[in-house]
Amino acid sequence: MTGRVIVITSGKGGVGKTTTSANIGTALAKAGNKVVLIDTDLGLRNLDLLLGLENRIVYTIVDVIEERCKLKQALVKDKKNPNLSLLAAAQTRDKTAVNAEQLKEICDTLKEENDFVLVDCPAGIEQGFQNAVAGASEAIVVTTPEMSAIRDADRIIGLLEAKEEIKSYKLLLNRVRPNLIKSNEMMSVDDVVEILSCPLVGIIPEDTGIITSTNKGEPIVNDENALAGKAYRNVAQRILGEEVPFLDLDEPKGFMAKIKNAFAKLKAKV
Amino acid sequence: MGLFSDIYNTVAKFFRPQEEQGDASKSVATNRLKLVLMQDRTNLTPKILEQMRGELIDLLSRYVELDKELLELNFEQEGDQVALMLSIPVIRAKDEEEIEAALKAEAEKLEEKIEELEEEIDNSDVISDDNIEENNSEENSTNLTSTPDEMNSSKNNEQEISFEECHTEQ
Repeated sequence: MTGRVIVITSGKGGVGKTTTSANIGTALAKAGNKVVLIDTDLGLRNLDLLLGLENRIVYTIVDVIEERCKLKQALVKDKKNPNLSLLAAAQTRDKTAVNAEQLKEICDTLKEENDFVLVDCPAGIEQGFQNAVAGASEAIVVTTPEMSAIRDADRIIGLLEAKEEIKSYKLLLNRVRPNLIKSNEMMSVDDVVEILSCPLVGIIPEDTGIITSTNKGEPIVNDENALAGKAYRNVAQRILGEEVPFLDLDEPKGFMAKIKNAFAKLKAKV
Repeated sequence: MGLFSDIYNTVAKFFRPQEEQGDASKSVATNRLKLVLMQDRTNLTPKILEQMRGELIDLLSRYVELDKELLELNFEQEGDQVALMLSIPVIRAKDEEEIEAALKAEAEKLEEKIEELEEEIDNSDVISDDNIEENNSEENSTNLTSTPDEMNSSKNNEQEISFEECHTEQ
């Protein structure tokens, strides 16, 4: 078995790389795939928190590289889903503790026994990024509809294009706020796709549920009712090769919005 | 009155479809972002862009009279490709005599520049001569005679390049 190695990257920090990694990983595992998540953000590890696994980590990626343990020993199994495991980053070391070749080796070993290896990349374009990308053949570029995040995503796309090993890269637009797009206060999905000219793999609406899910250490894909959870489940299905339409975020949900919409339609008829 | 118009605006806004509420900060962001990305992607700084603009004006105004104030130089993206869009309001086309005169003036300017450069090089040679003079003054004199030749050849090169540019432009 040879699994797919996908790096999740963004350039800018705080756009939701780790949240995306945790959710896509969980969704893929729920769909019956064997998945390993690798946190490569050495010194600033967080993926364990989002999965609620912070108390179970014994060995980290640096322990594997420095041969204090075997790779299998360092993999932490998810609480709910035995298909999902995490290789945590070392919290006490910096990015120089690992090099690209070592990470590639780990990815190559892991993909032998897993369907998916998802690499959560640190922010920035330096060593940490180069390491995370080294073993991957696909990439998901996470961005938000804000100027700074888009500019950084463009830079990342440029760097990914220059890498021969990366066969395909796709855009995940996070924290989309339909009401702001409607009032022309936020760039629309089409605007961002046009500017970056990169195929989309997902549109995730801004969802306060993300905060509570992070608080609990449980990815939002586990919440059947959350819109962001549904959006992430759709992303996982698209990664698996299914054609899933993007969520229609324009639908007015509130009572007032419905009235407003009705008036707008009436006016348009007259 | 102020109060009434305020209330009216609020009520009117409520019933207006949202799309009509005008372009707000979104279009500003999109435009700023497009420009900054083009600069990132092409490594063209605002200074170089300005220089390019200036040189394009010089080149084109040999042949046509332009409204320099309204000249626009923009980048546009079509799919993967970046296009350079130049929009110039032409006041009138120049006739052949004028064009020739403009070309002559240009050539004269170039010659002047070359002369200036030659002088500069001569001067710098003199300075370096002073340093080595004691050792071999004879060799230096041959050096001095060789420099104008070099300048001539480089001048020829320059002209060739500019002709090539003309061809591609057409």
